[in-house]
Amino acid sequence: MAKIEIRGVTKRYESEDANSGLALENVSLTIEHNEFVTLVGRSGCGKTTLLNIIAGLIEPTAGEVLVNGQRVTGPGGGKGMVFQQHALFPWLTAIQNVEFGCKSRGMPLNERKKAASQLIELVDLRGSEDKYPIELSGGMQQRVAIARALALDPEILLMDEPFGALDELTRIEMQGELLRVWSTRKKTVVFVTHSITEALMLSDRVVVLTARPGRIRQELQIDLPRPRERANPRLIAAYEEIWRNLY
Amino acid sequence: MKRLARWQDAVLGALGVLGLLIAWEAVTRSGLVNPVIFPGPAKAIAVAFARVPLRDLWEHISTSFLRILWGFGIGAGLGILTGTTSGWYRTLGALTRPVIELVRPIPPLAWIPMAIIWFGLGEPSKVFVIFLGAFFPVVTNTYKGMGGVDPILLRAAQTMGLSGPRLLLRVAIPAAMPDIATGIRVGWGLSFGVLVAAELIAAESGMGFMIMHARQSGEIGVIIFGIILIGAMNLVTDYCIGEVIRRKLGRWHAA
Amino acid sequence: MKRSGETSTEGGARWPRLLGAAFLVTLLLLWQVASLAALLKPFYFPPPSRLAVAFWELTWEGFPEGVRIGTHMLVTLGRIAQGYLLAVGVAIPLGIVIGWLPILDSLTLPIITFARSVATLSLLPLVIVWFGVGELAKVLLIAYGCFWVMLTNVIAGVKYIDPLLIRAARTLDTSPIGIFIRVVLPAALPRVFAGMRIALGVGFMVIVGAEMIGTIQGLGALIMEARTFYRSDISVVGMVAIGLFGFGISAGLEQLERILLPWHRGLELVRR
Repeated sequence: MAKIEIRGVTKRYESEDANSGLALENVSLTIEHNEFVTLVGRSGCGKTTLLNIIAGLIEPTAGEVLVNGQRVTGPGGGKGMVFQQHALFPWLTAIQNVEFGCKSRGMPLNERKKAASQLIELVDLRGSEDKYPIELSGGMQQRVAIARALALDPEILLMDEPFGALDELTRIEMQGELLRVWSTRKKTVVFVTHSITEALMLSDRVVVLTARPGRIRQELQIDLPRPRERANPRLIAAYEEIWRNLY
Repeated sequence: MKRLARWQDAVLGALGVLGLLIAWEAVTRSGLVNPVIFPGPAKAIAVAFARVPLRDLWEHISTSFLRILWGFGIGAGLGILTGTTSGWYRTLGALTRPVIELVRPIPPLAWIPMAIIWFGLGEPSKVFVIFLGAFFPVVTNTYKGMGGVDPILLRAAQTMGLSGPRLLLRVAIPAAMPDIATGIRVGWGLSFGVLVAAELIAAESGMGFMIMHARQSGEIGVIIFGIILIGAMNLVTDYCIGEVIRRKLGRWHAA
Repeated sequence: MKRSGETSTEGGARWPRLLGAAFLVTLLLLWQVASLAALLKPFYFPPPSRLAVAFWELTWEGFPEGVRIGTHMLVTLGRIAQGYLLAVGVAIPLGIVIGWLPILDSLTLPIITFARSVATLSLLPLVIVWFGVGELAKVLLIAYGCFWVMLTNVIAGVKYIDPLLIRAARTLDTSPIGIFIRVVLPAALPRVFAGMRIALGVGFMVIVGAEMIGTIQGLGALIMEARTFYRSDISVVGMVAIGLFGFGISAGLEQLERILLPWHRGLELVRR
């Protein structure tokens, strides 16, 4: 039952290069329980920074993030995350990676194995569970990453351009897979991408961010049933609108 | 460039070695060199076994091995401990790294005179020098490995609720293993070299001593035998370590 | 406890260096004080003050009589230089040939692997029997140690050239000889340089050990002789000198590499 409240979050970076300044300025956003929200924007607009702040990996300079009314002070605690570079532990097999999260929660061995096995099944990797990340393709790696994040049964799933490193065809396939998994295990999802199309295909709501300073430019509600057609005129119109706001 | 099939590699390799041995034997028989000081391979081994009773040989070998196991064990152990903690806790690293970097350029053998002053002529002085031989490569490579841990692995683990020492043990150290393994392998090789040298210079037993002693009695065959034996042992132990590393790390680590 | 989990930006990290320096200075001070307070016997742990005096003595009076530290250094350097240059001079052309021809590589691989496993200093007695206790023996020993390391690296440098580079050259109509000289050799250089660095380290280790037997000149001999005369302070100064010496040589080589190979970010092959 997660509701995320982002209140007046500002992040200032003090680096020596000319890009210092406000990565995010006074960003406020409320995400409802089980809502799929995507943050879209160009590189450097702060969307990843905002995601990291929600995750509790970075602290905001001002403002706060509340999850279920509780202030976010650190990572973990029901906030699963999937990264663009799969971040799988290379020394563990696929299923061991998925079990890793379970171990942290203190699950006994047989429960762990069972849970991990189910998740492998869910992301359609039966048969590859004993392979090492280096032996898996990009798409398969991300499936493991998703399964691992789900292993902790998180209330929130944070996804930082998870399909950004994949080729186009695999990316489209993975989008479908994600929606399938999500429909089976509903969660609140905050998804970050620079692809407008991806945002429109996946989310309930698209939040457009612009850079320097990082601000919310626009929010778009997408009330279409899934799976969605790329050629849907409403999506195309939405695309045009977002494009105009971004470029 | 065309590469050869594996069996062709093996056959050629064997041929090479055979050729060398034949050439060696031929040179000694040709009269070009004095066969007393340059015996052929067969003669060398024969002389060695005649002069050095098997029991003495065994004692030399085991003494050497005990030394290196102690020295390497402590050196690698301390090296990994220091490297991991110094690589993880910045304050500790700031204190230990400069000291280690300053002492590192001093070759282990250069410590022999002080080692003798501190520990006398017995075992501890040898073990100490061997310890130095293992410590520095291990600590350096471990430290490097810790620094090379992909930060995203740590971040991912954090999102799963890990922090502090658990993060260090379950993520950072396994991620650093390839470098640690390299350090161990190099450290062993160095320890071996240091062991032999230390035994040549300042010992009353062990394989290095055996060779040195043979020189004084003019038993060249024993010297050659000893040299080959040491080389073979080095090769075999290094191969074993390499195999263990290959088994444990080979599957998941991109070479 | 601060840890290096977050990506560290070296730019603002001045304080670790200051802390480290402060720590070292503190250690030296403690050492000196402990010695003055008779907590540490100066024979076992010569304090910095004693070392400074010994250094002075080594510089002007020399140890043994008349042999100054400069002389020791030159002697050691001379030995290393001869052995090293001999080894490198033979290893580079030989390594290139072997690396280029797979047949030769397979023929020689077991021999090279074994020869490399032989502990160089174990050859010292043998070399003394054959060549006596003079300079030649030491130079040959150094040459042996440096040679195999160098050879292995040159072979690897040539052998493991990215075939893509060769393919690219061929599409540019380069002749076989042209490929060899203009692609293979430059591409192998980084590895060759790495070999030169490692070989120098090996040579250095060998000479220090070799000089501890049967000679009274040279840095290794210096520290050994000093002990015999209970001059632990000179031994320690000698050790430090050796350390600085080795450091200086490797730093010099690194600089040389940076100048000659500006395109290559020296991959940190195993540092010893």
